Amino acid sequence: MAQVAEQTKKSPMGGIGKRIAYYPGCSLEGAARAYDVSTRIVARDLGLELDYLEDYNCCGAMETKNVSFWGTVLLNARNMSLAKRQGHNAIVAPCNGCSFSLQRAEYFLNTDKSVYNRINELLKEGGVDPLDEVPTTYHLLEWFYHEAGPEEVKKRTKKPLRGLKVANYYGCLYTRPHFYARTYSHTATEEEEQARPHRRETADDDEHPYYMNALLEAAGATNVEYEPMHTQCCGGPHSLSDEQVSEKFVMMLLQTAKRNGADVIATECPLCHASLEMYRHRLMMKGVPDVDVPAVYFTQLLGIAFGHSANDVKLKDNLSDPIPVLKRLGLI
Amino acid sequence: MAIHERSLVEPERVLRKERLVIDGVDVSGDWNLVILPRVIEDYDLDFLDEVLKQPEGKTILQCYQCSYCTASCPVHNYWDERYNPRHFIYLARLGLIDELQKRADVIWRCVSCHKCTHRCPKGVLVEETLKAILKVMSKKGLIEEYPSKKFDTFFLEAVFEHGRIEDGELLFGWIEKQGYQVFKDPILKKPIPFLGGTPEWLKQLAVKPIKSMNIDFLILNAKHMLFHPKTKNWNKFKQVLRKVFDEEGVSLAH
Ligand code: SF4
Ligand code: SF4
Ligand code: SF4
Ligand code: SF4
Repeated sequence: MAQVAEQTKKSPMGGIGKRIAYYPGCSLEGAARAYDVSTRIVARDLGLELDYLEDYNCCGAMETKNVSFWGTVLLNARNMSLAKRQGHNAIVAPCNGCSFSLQRAEYFLNTDKSVYNRINELLKEGGVDPLDEVPTTYHLLEWFYHEAGPEEVKKRTKKPLRGLKVANYYGCLYTRPHFYARTYSHTATEEEEQARPHRRETADDDEHPYYMNALLEAAGATNVEYEPMHTQCCGGPHSLSDEQVSEKFVMMLLQTAKRNGADVIATECPLCHASLEMYRHRLMMKGVPDVDVPAVYFTQLLGIAFGHSANDVKLKDNLSDPIPVLKRLGLI
Repeated sequence: MAIHERSLVEPERVLRKERLVIDGVDVSGDWNLVILPRVIEDYDLDFLDEVLKQPEGKTILQCYQCSYCTASCPVHNYWDERYNPRHFIYLARLGLIDELQKRADVIWRCVSCHKCTHRCPKGVLVEETLKAILKVMSKKGLIEEYPSKKFDTFFLEAVFEHGRIEDGELLFGWIEKQGYQVFKDPILKKPIPFLGGTPEWLKQLAVKPIKSMNIDFLILNAKHMLFHPKTKNWNKFKQVLRKVFDEEGVSLAH
């Protein structure tokens, strides 16, 4: 596997801003509360500030875009407008679905003048300020990496995650497609790179993302080999509507993690996380072997490393129950 | 002879002989397989125009059929070879609607992972283009309501109604739509997950927070069930959304 060599890894470069508009998304205020709570704890410990986006609406995830193009761009433009109202030009989203939706809208608004004009008209009609400028959306991981970074994580770590073997699961949309996620490729030639006019300096490597690996490693965990499953799909928007395919995809994800020796799978998206937990349970009921690796949000792991308790990071919320394995390793 | 993309050829059209002798020469090793030709007369020339009209389908003409997308696609590789993004783009461009229709059982199965879009060397927004093709197929009545469309519309309805979605409502509403008998308490008409005819896996999963005495989580979810999370000042915006949906031909239940 062509993992990113140490020398090609980026060092934290800042520039995003320590204070940022926080778009949690619907699931972080419901079933994925643990991700929200632990995100806030970790951000505070790292000296970063989340400014909650008041009165936001759902981004529509990957579902609504399949039914209505204009409706979905409009939903996201409304959230962008709210961010501007709160004085921000940068938004952070902890969910792959949300960051994808916002970045997708960003792409169409920035590249297609007719979309931009029409959406602004519609925003006005809906009683929301039009966008004079389109704000940029970052995934939480990107923000943590560049505004704090591994060194900072190391400094804050009071209880290193010693002995914990982690499979880092990034899911699809954190790095893809480069049009929206604006990722770069460390293996690309100069020419290929130029073919990505929208790439963002702070974005992760496209096929070999490493920000989560780096942060968890700094907190004392050991990363197991997880390529190419690290960015393989879990079934995503079809996790409820196409159960057969989703079940097979999640089985591959879990078995690879298990067989590569992982104690837990670290996640950075509430949708990936929910899908993993739901199908893990169903696969276990069917007696499928090697699928019992629990899923934990990377922020929960960082929270524990920073000295917070299992209850602080809401470990009990995880339906896949990572508590026994973390106890066995003496981490909680 | 090996057939590349074997899945594109119907089994009836493949003739394979164990032993083939032509003019007294045994050619079994190399030439024992013939694909019967076919004649296609029906082209729907309007199909491509319709795809190009969709904002997502504008890049379809950039495709030069290299198949990078198909090679990357997990649905093609791990589920069904007949799911073939390159081929769908090809068929859509020629307007071969019969052939598209033959694949109606798989064409909706794209999981939106965007490997195709990401890797396409020609800058085609492949995933978006495939969705545009699907939309045009629906519009032209070439495909029946498929599962993901049902779910996507259901999801859109929830967003439209409140501006926010609520996981529990979405999950149980969907389960109910699948034909399961979800038990609801008689007064508030809210689903009680571990009673009634919900699938066994869901019952077991739903009692987990109770078993682990995760009280605050239970309270949060109960609160959301009773008081649906809502976006304030939503009504005016809703009207605009409604207008957009009407223009796009999206029909919602409400
Ligand atoms: S992706 Fe999901 S959680 Fe995020 S806002 Fe959209 S619907 Fe809500
Ligand atoms: S892995 Fe699944 S939930 Fe996560 S980004 Fe991909 S499709 Fe979405
Ligand atoms: S990768 Fe792009 S150019 Fe190649 S077949 Fe697919 S869509 Fe066409
Ligand atoms: S987005 Fe759809 S077509 Fe593209 S690679 Fe993923 S599953 Fe295949």
